[in-house]
Amino acid sequence: MNFLIDSVLFSYAQIFFSNRKWFGLVIFLVSLLTPKIGFLGLLGVITANLIAYFLKFDLSKIRSGFYGFNGILFGAAVGYFYELSLSIVLLLPVFILITFFITSVLEHYLAVALNLPGLSLPFIISFYIFIIFLSNYGEIQFSKNLQIFDIPTDFSQPVSIFLKSLGLIILQPSVIAGLIILIAIFFFSRILFLLSIISFIVNFYAIKIILPFQTDGLMVISSVNSILVGIALGGSLIIPSRKSLFLVIISIIMTVITIGFFHQVFLTSRLPIFVLPFNFIVLLVIYSLKFRRDHTDLTLLYFKPGSPEENYYYHHNRKARFERFKYFSVELPFFGEWKVSQGFNGEYTHKDKWKFAWDFVQVDENDKEYKNNGNKSEDYFCYNLPVLAPLDGEVVKIVDKIMDNPIGEVNIDKNWGNTIILKHAEDFYSAISHLKEGSFEVKVGEKVRKGTIIAKCGNSGRSPYPHIHFQFQLTDKIGEKTFKYPLGIFISKSDNEKKLRIFEYPQKGELVKNIETHKIIKNAFDFKLGNKLNFTYEIKNKKFEEEWEVKIDIYNLLYLENNFGEIAYFSLSDKMFYFTSYVGKKNSALYYFYLSSPIIPFTFDSELSWKAPYSVTELTNTKLLYLNELLLLYKNYLRAYGELKFIENEEDDNSFLIITEIKMKGFGIMSFMNSTKRGKIKIDENGNISEIAFYEKNKFIFKANNNLEKK
Amino acid sequence: MSSKKIYERPIITKNQSGFMNKFGSSSLVKPKVEIDGVLVKDLVDKWGSPLFVISEKQIRSNQRNALRIFKSRYPKVQFAWSYKTNYLKAVCAVFHSEGSWAEVVSEFEYQKARRLGIPGENIIFNGPDKSDSALLNAINENAKIHIDHFDELYKLIELTEETQKKANVAIRVNMDVGVYPKWDRFGFNYENGEAWQALKRIITSRNLKLIGLHTHIGTYMMSADAYKTATIKLVDLAKGLKNNYNLNLEYIDLGGGFASHNTLLGQYLPAEEVVPSIEQFADAISSGLFELSGSLDELPTLILETGRALIDDAGYLITKVLANKRLSTGKRAIIIDAGVNILFTSFWYKHKIHPANETGVHTEESAIYGPLCMNIDCIRESIVFPNVKKDDLLVIDYVGAYDMTQWMQFINMRPNVVMIMQDGTVELIRKSEDIDYIEQQEILPATLKNFK
Repeated sequence: MNFLIDSVLFSYAQIFFSNRKWFGLVIFLVSLLTPKIGFLGLLGVITANLIAYFLKFDLSKIRSGFYGFNGILFGAAVGYFYELSLSIVLLLPVFILITFFITSVLEHYLAVALNLPGLSLPFIISFYIFIIFLSNYGEIQFSKNLQIFDIPTDFSQPVSIFLKSLGLIILQPSVIAGLIILIAIFFFSRILFLLSIISFIVNFYAIKIILPFQTDGLMVISSVNSILVGIALGGSLIIPSRKSLFLVIISIIMTVITIGFFHQVFLTSRLPIFVLPFNFIVLLVIYSLKFRRDHTDLTLLYFKPGSPEENYYYHHNRKARFERFKYFSVELPFFGEWKVSQGFNGEYTHKDKWKFAWDFVQVDENDKEYKNNGNKSEDYFCYNLPVLAPLDGEVVKIVDKIMDNPIGEVNIDKNWGNTIILKHAEDFYSAISHLKEGSFEVKVGEKVRKGTIIAKCGNSGRSPYPHIHFQFQLTDKIGEKTFKYPLGIFISKSDNEKKLRIFEYPQKGELVKNIETHKIIKNAFDFKLGNKLNFTYEIKNKKFEEEWEVKIDIYNLLYLENNFGEIAYFSLSDKMFYFTSYVGKKNSALYYFYLSSPIIPFTFDSELSWKAPYSVTELTNTKLLYLNELLLLYKNYLRAYGELKFIENEEDDNSFLIITEIKMKGFGIMSFMNSTKRGKIKIDENGNISEIAFYEKNKFIFKANNNLEKK
Repeated sequence: MSSKKIYERPIITKNQSGFMNKFGSSSLVKPKVEIDGVLVKDLVDKWGSPLFVISEKQIRSNQRNALRIFKSRYPKVQFAWSYKTNYLKAVCAVFHSEGSWAEVVSEFEYQKARRLGIPGENIIFNGPDKSDSALLNAINENAKIHIDHFDELYKLIELTEETQKKANVAIRVNMDVGVYPKWDRFGFNYENGEAWQALKRIITSRNLKLIGLHTHIGTYMMSADAYKTATIKLVDLAKGLKNNYNLNLEYIDLGGGFASHNTLLGQYLPAEEVVPSIEQFADAISSGLFELSGSLDELPTLILETGRALIDDAGYLITKVLANKRLSTGKRAIIIDAGVNILFTSFWYKHKIHPANETGVHTEESAIYGPLCMNIDCIRESIVFPNVKKDDLLVIDYVGAYDMTQWMQFINMRPNVVMIMQDGTVELIRKSEDIDYIEQQEILPATLKNFK
């Protein structure tokens, strides 16, 4: 029964691209304003969902309203256009069956083959069939005396057209229905609220200019289509942005033209236009957008949709935090700290085809590269130092037997010098050049692990003084064009600022080194499938016990799940841990853990700090966010980021602390919204997460302790 | 150069027959007017003579260089400051602030390290003399105890059984690395299997946690290869532990012993030319350590207890000429106010000595004696040195290691020690002694008080 109710309510919500049950309920109640239309709609959705259920379609899809909303539209449309008669009531279930099959075929075809939403196309097709079928019994006769429930208002004409258009989406073209829907939309999404108003206004003027001889009826039907286009393209199927708003305006102009087209086409057949222009334009735009080379603007939804706001925050948070996360975690090919003497687009040789390469040398604390007077290779600190494999791979090419140059001279004949090329994956190779003659510790064909010593730094090839040249490339050719790929995790120092860098590119002049694995920190975050953790905490004097378990889903994604069903997805590499998303209530130990450890490198260094972006919705539920969301189409005025650091031995016990300062900052008119939160994770000397604490405005708000004996 | 010519006392030098030195005969001795930018004269005016001067900048630079050199050859390196080399608080504090742990060889040194705030787990407790109370304390504070002999091992087992506490231990191993003299008086021998016996005994005891292996093959080592041999022998033991007991050691401690740039008494060539560089020592040790297979994460940390090579050239002794005199042989002798009681290392080294001001170009073979009324008080038997006058200041180089720990109060008091800080200011880090300080420990029995 619950399932049925859910599937019905979600079906109603789906009409407006919403995934909220309460929103579906509001739409359902609005549809009952004219009971005849409402009940036929309800009949439609229940029938459609039951058919899907008994035919054993995917339950989660039925529940989400995927199959149901076309049923609503069909039922409601029948009630709207026809007088109720026995024959029509008997025909209705048959046609809903037809609608259902069209839905399943179309949705499946569009979704699987073209990766497009099906929209309300099934409803339109089956309703046309219905109308034309009924014409077998005579002229198409639409009901003339339908009474749409409304209450008298004194809104100006455009406003009442706008509200009626909103109502007409569920076939209730009344001011009161439109008003309720508009309010509901506001509470569901500020972006959709704005979009529906903007769409109407654009449409209103577009019609006046393009189709000045229009009738009121055409104005209403054009408004309906335009509002739906705005809702779909402005924020529901595309991540909202200024550009998506612009796209909406262009699309509405196209919609108006399409209206003019269909109006003439259907003039003789007397078929209603319905939302056909909306379906046509939205599918057209979405489908063509898929063929672009670059999807950074007007990004189509690539995840399970939420409200446009959620889509926006999710997309931008993901972009900030994980976009740069790559599959391979490359390390610097040496021990110790070296200096980038030439970076990307360098001034000496890293140009054109070879612009994505690094040269590394070693310097002492006074930034000198050599001792004595620097006229022998041996004087240079980096000379003869071990060079390591940056990633697991296979040795595919070695060039040896090129003599070191005297200092200051270069070998232009064999400019790459002694070089080793490793293959890490198909079409992914790394090359290290200017190595020392005869220093290779591996052979061609040998498999090497990341960090294995492969050779020593020399001064061969186009190398006036000892250094190594490091690049990625797509083939095993010596001197191949460089390929841009970041390093997994490293520490950089410049101007005495020490930073942890994650999937970034070392810059010229920086001192860089690999992180040193700290066993205790690694132990704490190296979650293995099936690991269990157990925490106790108190909220308002009530004791809670929370158990986490490490699980894995069918896509091989690891997550922590607590006994309340809250879930936090995470990723693990050999050198770091990071959370990807959290689903659940904002008061569990898991939630605070998620906030307190967004990215954790497996090292320990109290001089190190690093940043992690957050999405503001992860931090607060306040309705003040509505203001920001009204502006979101223009700009996000709220930012949140965490600054993390390690602290050792507070209170002189042997524990390690990870502190996260999460700052939410408002800009411009949101500048009144500033907050600071602090997360603290304590790791004991055996590598257990022993305590999770959270502070807001320096006031302690949460603390959970690990029940170690239960582990 | 001052505009006024320097007055030179007339000297008579014997004409040598034979070939001329093709490099000419310019004086090898250059004056040292300042240390780290501070005038030697100013230092003596304020703090008196003799005066030990330590350069903070030089210590840091030595430590950073050594760390850089080792870390770019082996991923996990930890230095532990060898307290006995110089345990003045300020010196230790500089090393600790550079990330060094403490390496101590007595309860006294252990206490010094603790007082400086070094946590027990960052203290390596070496040496053949550890009292029961010292061991108990070290166990309680999680110090790393390096066992020297079986009696100590049995004692540790006994103490940990009694207290039911776990102790973190390593053993010191001695071995033949092809260098004479063989240091076999410390630790357990590798070649005769004693070390392996000790390791087995530790593994079978419930309360001892074996975390490392330690060796210290000698002092002032002139051969880097000896370190490779030593490392390979320790690695062999580590492999044995891994294969037989699946035990991964936390660290391998190669001790100290790297030579500094002081020239030994018996050496002909100057130390700079014969002593291996730290790079060479590091190459030898790291190549030995990579004999251990396994992932980088599993490799043990390399611990180094380098003392002398990190501090020797950061220490200077300023001294004043008390007198010039001729010996019966006609050789000149210079008497200075610093004796062997504060410059203990003059028994080992041919110290480099500079005048603190410009001198003339003529040099003369001289002996330099200290102020003590003892025949052994000789700083340099023979040195080609320019003319200096009474009250001239001299600077003796490379006195940072051992002199400020092995010095003694004998005939004279021990002088002030100052540190020239990184910012160029000078801080007194040990006050010169006075008679009250010396006598405060003394007790005159009542019966002897009125001996008049």
